[in-house]
Amino acid sequence: MGDSEVALVKAVDMAKKYGDFIALHPLNVEVHSGEFFGVFGPNGAGKSTFIKLLTGQLKPSKGLIEILGINAVKDPQKLKANIGIVPESESPPSFLTPVEFLEFVATLRNVDDYKNEVEHWLDWFGLEEKRNTMCKDLSKGQRQKVMLAAAFIHRPKLLFLDEPFANLDPIYQRKCRQWLLDHVEQGGTIFLCSHVLEMAERMCNRMAIINDGKVLAAGSVSELKLSTDETLEDVFIRLVGRSIEDVERISEEGITEEE
Amino acid sequence: MSGILISSRDWDEVESNTTLTSLGTGSQGQKLHTPMRGFSAFIATFKVMFKEEFRKNIEFAKARQVVLFPLLLSLVTMISTIGLQFLVGDSAAQTSDIESKTFTWQELRFGLHLPLLVFSLGMGTFAFMGREALIRRTGTKNFLLASPALQPLPNSVAHFVYFVKDLCFYVLLILSPIIFGMFLGIGLEVVASINTPLEISSLPWTWIAMVVTLAQGLVFSFLASALWMRGRPYTILGPVLIVLFGISAGIGLFDLEWFLLGLKVQSTQNIFIAIISFIVCIGLGYLSSLLIVDDFDVSVVEKGDMLEPIYQRLGFLGKGEVRLIVAKEFVDLFRSGSIKKMTVSYAIPLLVLLGMAWLVDFAEAPIPINLLSYAPFLGFFGFNFYSWLTILDSPEFMNGLPLRVPQLIRAKVVVYFLATSWISLIFIVLMAWRLDEWASLPTSIIVMFANSIYIVALTAYLMGLRPNQAIFDASIMIWFWIGTVLPLLGLFLLSFTQGDVSLYGNWWERTSQDGLAATAAMYDEGLVQQGYMGMIAISVVLLLASMLLWKLMDRRWGNSHFNN
Repeated sequence: MGDSEVALVKAVDMAKKYGDFIALHPLNVEVHSGEFFGVFGPNGAGKSTFIKLLTGQLKPSKGLIEILGINAVKDPQKLKANIGIVPESESPPSFLTPVEFLEFVATLRNVDDYKNEVEHWLDWFGLEEKRNTMCKDLSKGQRQKVMLAAAFIHRPKLLFLDEPFANLDPIYQRKCRQWLLDHVEQGGTIFLCSHVLEMAERMCNRMAIINDGKVLAAGSVSELKLSTDETLEDVFIRLVGRSIEDVERISEEGITEEE
Repeated sequence: MSGILISSRDWDEVESNTTLTSLGTGSQGQKLHTPMRGFSAFIATFKVMFKEEFRKNIEFAKARQVVLFPLLLSLVTMISTIGLQFLVGDSAAQTSDIESKTFTWQELRFGLHLPLLVFSLGMGTFAFMGREALIRRTGTKNFLLASPALQPLPNSVAHFVYFVKDLCFYVLLILSPIIFGMFLGIGLEVVASINTPLEISSLPWTWIAMVVTLAQGLVFSFLASALWMRGRPYTILGPVLIVLFGISAGIGLFDLEWFLLGLKVQSTQNIFIAIISFIVCIGLGYLSSLLIVDDFDVSVVEKGDMLEPIYQRLGFLGKGEVRLIVAKEFVDLFRSGSIKKMTVSYAIPLLVLLGMAWLVDFAEAPIPINLLSYAPFLGFFGFNFYSWLTILDSPEFMNGLPLRVPQLIRAKVVVYFLATSWISLIFIVLMAWRLDEWASLPTSIIVMFANSIYIVALTAYLMGLRPNQAIFDASIMIWFWIGTVLPLLGLFLLSFTQGDVSLYGNWWERTSQDGLAATAAMYDEGLVQQGYMGMIAISVVLLLASMLLWKLMDRRWGNSHFNN
C-alpha cells in the first residue's frame, strides 16, 4: 500500500470510563490518508467521546492515541494546531465577531498570511455581511459556519467532524459536502461522527457502527449490507435495534423481578 | 484499503499499562504547525479576552451606562475626599480631644485596603469560573476561557490571561476612577476653597498600593480555587496555609501589616516593596495557573432522583411553582458541587471579620465597633452568593415552560436565604461570644436577617438574573448605592449608640447645636434607648421594603425572557 500504509490516526486499546460507567470500551482504530471514515451510532452511543479522545479534548482511561505522529495525550496543543475539529454543539465565543475569532484561532496556529485566509473563509461561507456581528447574535447555522471556518482556516489535511451539518441549510450542506469530497480526493482525510446514515452512503468509503461504547460492525457500506436489497437503515436497525431491544428486555425483566 | 481496521474489546481484556511508546503514525508530508506558546500566546489571547470582557459588560448595560459607572465612582470618591477632614481631625470642628475622636491616617488606609481585599477575594475564583465556562461551552453562551478545549492553547495560559485581564479591567474601571475622584476632591480646594487633608503627591502611591491589594486578593482567591480544583491532597493545602498564617500572625511571627501588602506599600512608600509585592502577586498568579491542568472532562454521572425528596422537604413554601424551582435550584447546587464552593466563598469573608475581631483591638479605634455594627454588613456578602446562584445553570430552557422570570428570581432569593442564614447565624453568635455582648445578640440577629434579606431582594429586583453584568451599569449602581448605603449607614451609626458614644455624640452635637464648635458628648442612657429603637425601626422598614420589592418583581421582570 506504499506511503498510505502509514496511518494518520491510530489508537490502541483506547477506552474511557466515568466512575463505573464505561463510555467507550477498549478500541483499536487506524485511519489512513485519503480516507473518508465515518462513525455512526444512535444517541449516546459514544461517538462524541470517540472523537474527543482522538482530538485531545479528553484523556483516555486506558490506551494510546497517536495522530500525525503526535501523542494526543502528551502534546494536545500540537495536535490541535494541526488538525481541524468541528464539535457537535459548541459555538464560537459569544462576544467575539467571526473575524476576531478566526483571526484568533489562526494566530494561535501560527498560520502564515492569516488575514487572507480569514477573508477567504468568510467569503466562502457567505459570512461577509456578518463579519462584525458578535457571534451570540448569529443564527445557529451561521455559528456553525464560523466553527467550520475555524476548522478549515489552517488548511489541515486531517479533519474531525462531529455532526458537522446539523444546523446548515441544504445549500451549504451540499457546498460543504462537495468541499469535503474534493478535500479527500486531493489527499485529505476525514473522520466523521454522525447518526445521519445518508452521509455514510454519500460520502464515506469506510464506516463503523457503534453502540454502548462498542464497535458493532465496520467496513465499507457495501460490506455491511447482507444483500443488495438491504438499505443502510436496515443494517443500522439490525445491528443497533437489536441491542436496544436487549436493553429494553433487561429493564423489563428488572421491573418484573422487583414486582 | 480494505479489511477491518477498527475493533472493540471488553474492558477487562485490556491492561492499563502498555509498553508501547510510539504507534508509528506520520503526517504524510503535511507541514506541521507549531502552536503559539509562552508570551506570544499570552498576548494573542489577552487582546481578545479584554475585548470580550468589555463587551460582556456593555451587553447588559448600554455603553453609556458603563462609561457612567467610573464617573459615578469618581463622584462618590470626590465627596468622600472632602469628608476626610472630619475623619482625620483636620477640621475646625475637632476639639483638643482629637486623638480619641478621629482616625489616624493608618487606620483610614486600613479601612481602604481591607474592603478592597475582601472585594477582590470574592472576584478571583478563576479556576471555578474556568470549569463553569467549560461545562457551559455547549450552551448558548461560550467564552474564551473555555477555548483550550478545542484550540491549541494550554488551559494554564488561558487562566493566567484571565487573571491578568481581570486585574487590568478592575484597575481601569474601579481603581483609576477612585484615584481620579480623589484628584477632583483635592482640586476643589482651588475652585471652591474646600479643604481636604489629602495631598496630591500621595495619589500615585495610593493608586500603586490599591493595585497591589487588588492583585493580592485576586491571586489568593485564584490560588485557593486552583488548589481546590486539583482535588486531594491540594484541597487541604489551602485551609492548612490559612491556619498556619493565622497562628503565625497570632503569635507575632510577623507584623499583621504584611498581610495587606498594599497597606505596607502605602505606609512605607517604598518602591522596592511595591515592585516585589506586585511581582509576588503576579508570580503567585502564574503558579496558580500552572495548577490548572488540561482536563476537559465533563463527568458522566448517574444519580438517583433528588428533586422529589427536596421538593417534599420544602412544604413550608406552599404548592406554587416557586417551591418547585427552589427544589431544582438546590439540585443544581448539590449536583454541580457548587454548594461547597459557595459556602466556603460566603464563609471566608465572615471568617476574616471574625479573625479581625480576634486580632485587632477595636477598643483602641475611635469608632466604638460592637456586635450591632457587624450585623448590617453581613447582608453585603449576600450579593456574591446571589451572583453565583444566577450562573449555576442556563435558564433558557424555561422559556418553553409555563414559568415567568420573577418566579425564578424569587426562588433564587429563597435559596440564598435557606443556604446562608445558618452561616450568618453561627458567625453572629461567635462574634457575640468573642465581644462578650450577649445582650445585643437578639437585636443583632434581627438586624442581620432584615438587612440580609433586604440587600438580596434589592439586588434581585434591580439586577434580575444578571447581577455580574449589572454592577457595571451606572444607573443600576446609583439605585443600588442609595438603596444599600443609606440604611447601612443609618444602622452603622446607630450601632455606636450602644457603646462608647463620644464620636457619635460629637458628630450629632456638631450638626445640631454647635456647628463647627462642637464638643464631645458623654454616654447617654436616653440616646442608647433611642438608638436601639431606631435600629429596630430601620430593620422593620427594611423588611417591609423587601416585601414591596418582592411584589414589584413582577412589574420589573414580568415581561423578560429567561437569559443569564
